Amino acid sequence: MKCRKCKAVAAVALPSHNTAFCPDCYPVFVRSQVERAIHRHKMIAPGDRVLVAVSGGKDSLALTLLLHELGHDVHGLHVDLDIPNSSTDARAACEGFFAKLGLPLTVIELRREGLAIPLVKSRIKRPICSVCGKLKRYYFNKFALENDYPVLATGHNLDDEVSRLFANTIRWDHAYLSDQGPLLPAESGFARKIKPMYRLTEFEIANFSFLRGIDHVIAGCPYSGKASFPIYKGLWSGLEERMPGAKVQFYENFLREGRPVFAAWSDQQGQLPTPCTECGYPTSAERCGVCRIKAMVADDEK
Amino acid sequence: MIYIRLEPEGRTMHFPRLGTVLQLLRKLGLGNNAALIIRDGELLTPDRRLHAGDEVVVRTVTSRG
Ligand code: SF4
Ligand SMILES: [Zn+2]
Ligand SMILES: [Zn+2]
Repeated sequence: MKCRKCKAVAAVALPSHNTAFCPDCYPVFVRSQVERAIHRHKMIAPGDRVLVAVSGGKDSLALTLLLHELGHDVHGLHVDLDIPNSSTDARAACEGFFAKLGLPLTVIELRREGLAIPLVKSRIKRPICSVCGKLKRYYFNKFALENDYPVLATGHNLDDEVSRLFANTIRWDHAYLSDQGPLLPAESGFARKIKPMYRLTEFEIANFSFLRGIDHVIAGCPYSGKASFPIYKGLWSGLEERMPGAKVQFYENFLREGRPVFAAWSDQQGQLPTPCTECGYPTSAERCGVCRIKAMVADDEK
Repeated sequence: MIYIRLEPEGRTMHFPRLGTVLQLLRKLGLGNNAALIIRDGELLTPDRRLHAGDEVVVRTVTSRG
């Protein structure tokens, strides 16, 4: 196979785009995909400081590099979950990467908040991943709010987005279907949320990370076993294999045809969040979910 | 012999002969976009030929939570 641009031996073949690229031309292709997504959805305005949520995995580090190379003002935020055999490496990967690029990185340690994930896991009955995700979102949002970042960027890729959309569709979860997308405008105290890599697959990002020598963590979280997303990802990769382009079509058609319908419907049901009485975070209850988890963990401690 | 190392598991295996990367992927039950295929630090597309003595890394692509 030959590179579409320069005819050198290809390193990456992309059936969904019906094309292939050499090691030099491929990163340029990836960058242009991200640049186009940012432009098309008006994700970042000139002068915006962009807060990037980084886990230490390939997606969020690749996003950091791409945004930096596209000339955006990037600040990293990592939440140290304090999970044994996982969090130390993840944090070190973030710190090493940001130091190499000379970019600022802030680390929030859940242990200091009394919310180390193993402790929380031992206190709750719900699956830990839903609580862990809630905590991460909370601290990203809160940090963006308190430090006046207009934009919060995450490294979600097309596979993440498609499996989430698929999960929401299987449940016909209209609340989630009404606001899933690569851009969530700032509202009720939340920063604008963007997913500049939503058109790139996991495979495409893995190739980019390899070719650009990004040092990311490979081993997964020891608690990741029971999530349902991997099942959907498996189904979709089988489908994509037989129908190249199926993923991007499913997602883009949803954004165009499906989402507006759900959004209009949910506007009628709308209930505006109010500040949490304890921490000020926007919530639909009096006390936000994280303050409730905190209280529960602290109660058990006594 | 062609030597295979599976990442991230770290398992190794070998095949007496394999024609192409595509055949390797099929033998491992993997789709074309399920893994990076790396030989001597170089990424290989499914049509590339494998040769006796090759050491190949198969790095599956799945992201953590
Ligand atoms: S797998 Fe679950 S517990 Fe582990 S980091 Fe992801 S969300 Fe948190
Ligand atoms: Zn080229
Ligand atoms: Zn609160």
